[in-house]
Amino acid sequence: MWKIGTGTAHQRYVTRTAAFMGVYVLLNVAAIAGVFDALKGGPGAWALALAVSIPIAGQIWATLALMAESDEFVRALTARQFIVSAGVAMALFCAWGFAESYADAPHAPGWIVYILFWAAFGASAPFIRSTK
Amino acid sequence: MKNRLRELRAARRWSQADLAERIGVSRQAVNALETDKHDPSLGLAYRIAALFGLPVEEIFDNEHR
Repeated sequence: MWKIGTGTAHQRYVTRTAAFMGVYVLLNVAAIAGVFDALKGGPGAWALALAVSIPIAGQIWATLALMAESDEFVRALTARQFIVSAGVAMALFCAWGFAESYADAPHAPGWIVYILFWAAFGASAPFIRSTK
Repeated sequence: MKNRLRELRAARRWSQADLAERIGVSRQAVNALETDKHDPSLGLAYRIAALFGLPVEEIFDNEHR
């Protein structure tokens, strides 16, 4: 049985996503604009790298919270979509990593796996309509 | 899992949203049950059976019998 209703659960998910992605975008835009240039090479740079990653962990939590607050159908559907997307993102990123090692492919930064994951999540949504 | 959910709901002139509210799930969940895209948990099957006043097996086919 759902705890708060799927509508409310989705509303909370959208609010949480907007908050976490807002922080993520803000930190990255500031970094690109050079706000944190003085930190480069020092321990502060590690703190910046971790700070940018925290909203990513938050976004994963928001998705798990959506599952916990939804009914069993939405929960099972989201879990399926999450697993498929994680699999696609890992497979693609590993393939690229091997291409870097064996085929001199240009280097792709690690954070691209996050973009790949959400791209796969969105692209798989229309095809994952059953929990079976 | 084949079931008589749509027929039982229609007999009471309930919409999917009406049934969803009565059994505590989303309308999408009711639609998924009716179109055989989701097998209910034991708890949900019991709630549905209690709502219609029928044994679970008179609503959901038991393919193992």
